[in-house]
Amino acid sequence: MRRFLQRHVSQVALSPSLALIAIFLYGFIAYTAAVSTTNSKAFPRFDNFVGLEQYWRLFHTPRWHVAFTNMFLFGGLFLLVTISLGLLIAILIDQRIRAESFFRSIVMYPMAMSFVVTGIIWQWLLNPTLGIEVMVHQLGFESFRLDWLTNPNTVIWALVVAAFWQGCGLVMALFLAGLRGIDEDIWKAAAVDGIPAWRVYVFIVIPMLAPVFLTVVVLLSLSIVRAFDLVVALTNGGPGVSSDLPSVFMFDMAFRRTNLGLSAASAVVMLGTVLAILIPYLYVETRERA
Amino acid sequence: MIDIRISSCNKNYGSLRVLKDINLEIERGEFIVLLGPSGCGKSTLLHIVAGLDRLSSGAIEIGGRDVTDVEPKDRDIAMVFQSYALYPTMSVRSNMEFGLRMRGKPMAEIRPLVEEKARMLHIDHLLDRRPSQLSGGQRQRVAIGRALVRDPKVFLFDEPLSNLDAKLRASMRTEIKKLHQSLGTTAIYVTHDQLEAMTLATRMVVMKAGEIQQVGKPEEVYHRPVNLFVADFLGNPGMNFMKGHLRLDGNRVSADVGAATIPLDGYAFDEKPTDGQAVVVGLRPESVQPATGGEPFSLTLKPTLIEHTGSDNLVVLAMGSEEIVGKFPSDMLPKLGEPVTVGFDLSRLSVFDATTERRI
Ligand SMILES: Nc1ncnc2c1ncn2[C@@H]1O[C@H](COP(=O)(O)OP(=O)(O)OP(=O)(O)O)[C@@H](O)[C@H]1O
Ligand SMILES: [Mg+2]
Repeated sequence: MRRFLQRHVSQVALSPSLALIAIFLYGFIAYTAAVSTTNSKAFPRFDNFVGLEQYWRLFHTPRWHVAFTNMFLFGGLFLLVTISLGLLIAILIDQRIRAESFFRSIVMYPMAMSFVVTGIIWQWLLNPTLGIEVMVHQLGFESFRLDWLTNPNTVIWALVVAAFWQGCGLVMALFLAGLRGIDEDIWKAAAVDGIPAWRVYVFIVIPMLAPVFLTVVVLLSLSIVRAFDLVVALTNGGPGVSSDLPSVFMFDMAFRRTNLGLSAASAVVMLGTVLAILIPYLYVETRERA
Repeated sequence: MIDIRISSCNKNYGSLRVLKDINLEIERGEFIVLLGPSGCGKSTLLHIVAGLDRLSSGAIEIGGRDVTDVEPKDRDIAMVFQSYALYPTMSVRSNMEFGLRMRGKPMAEIRPLVEEKARMLHIDHLLDRRPSQLSGGQRQRVAIGRALVRDPKVFLFDEPLSNLDAKLRASMRTEIKKLHQSLGTTAIYVTHDQLEAMTLATRMVVMKAGEIQQVGKPEEVYHRPVNLFVADFLGNPGMNFMKGHLRLDGNRVSADVGAATIPLDGYAFDEKPTDGQAVVVGLRPESVQPATGGEPFSLTLKPTLIEHTGSDNLVVLAMGSEEIVGKFPSDMLPKLGEPVTVGFDLSRLSVFDATTERRI
């Protein structure tokens, strides 16, 4: 027994947490999947198996369509804006500017805040009677209108801007670390070769950051699928359901509309989306390591 | 004709003086090797010639033109780095082409040029590969090829071979030598490998702590080092040093090194010797040989240790309280503890003042 303990001390030490993960992560995933095949309302019940009916209903619910499309719309815009601006800021900071740590802190600061705070800050800033709109009016531009929060067609931009504000720091930090990791001699060789800096970035340095891009895309994608608190704090899915995201939909179905079966089905679909992002990533990662 | 002139060049990083009043004139076609211990400022000097580092004061001329404030790309130089610094996202071909394309040379001229140089360096079959798919030696060839196609006025090499294994290093060294002989382009080459320095250099520059110690032909620097540092830095195994005092007797000079008195009649003094002057007498191991009878000066000493290097035997000999090393031919194998008579080649002696450490 002692021999066994000595030899397997790390496994023994880890086993409680492994057991917890098995139960609370995979156990409840299985449990949710099981619930999604039932007709559960306010409480999970397993006596009324309905097969895939909840999934059929899910994809015939207009609100789910809005939420699911929004996820891709919001996600696409968010990825595009955050990656391009995050990279741009990283490149600017990489120019060995003065007071670099000051600018770095400014960009990183929002990261320290919870999404709820971010949501509330931007709710104020975008409020037509309180925030930026009033400020610009006071500057004399009376015709300026910023109605993102109240216009169902543009409310998605409010989410994008707030999420960008929060996520930019992390993306910038990752890109900056990548840029700093590039061999100085490459820059020197390029200087001797007479290659202008922007071309070095476009043709040499940015392609060298491909692994960072992959990491950033995966991190941001996961945060898109998970995005919940930001929406609740900023728009609460409104106006109407126009800024709904799957996570908000799921929460609503489970705890307000007492439709646990449908909610579980949407959770499983979200899990599928996450896996669709993660599996190719893990595949590429492990293949590179090998 | 002077190709590169470095005048009173200083480089400081804050209060750290990395280069101290460097003056150097390089003729067209020379192969200059900068040699010195790590951190002595070799790379810094090379970077200053390349224009990658600004100098704190002084001036650089290349080809008769003052380039002190000229961008690297306009200095007509090409550089090869220790880490190769190939563009990893581009094929070998693009790596070699990129610099020329940036200079607006038409593709129709670039293609044949790149292919010609690639053939010359035996990398023509690798043109479509990525740098990550090449071995270290192949990468270094590509880096050299990238410099070659530019056809610059000056080549700068910063320890280009130090990432290669010994055998590959030796063969690349020969190739660089051949390349220089056929092209005749002026080159500055940084290394801390003395063998590279001795074999490649037409003149070598020995540096220490940001200062030039000696400039000269490799044989000259090797056989007539100007101070103890240079004497000690070059040679493997290092030079034998024997501490002692000068004896002046009429017009005959000798050095009393305790266990022996070495006659210095044939020694060409740079400075006038004084009686009783504390000196260090230096003699390279290859000048300590088994006596054949005809030597003007020989000693009988006891071997205390013998190392076989294959080509020779390194024999450690007790000389009073000190030890000296002799490099014997491999068929001369003395027995430990049995005294042997060794002859000193007095024409190869170096005498240094013990306090100034300068050659006298
Ligand atoms: N950017 C810098 N800031 C401050 N000090 C520097 C900087 N670059 C180099 N140095 C210092 O200058 C000195 C010379 O450096 P350099 O790189 O020229 O040495 P080196 O002779 O090439 O050495 P090695 O053989 O190790 O390459 C070193 O003491 C180094 O610490
Ligand atoms: Mg160096």
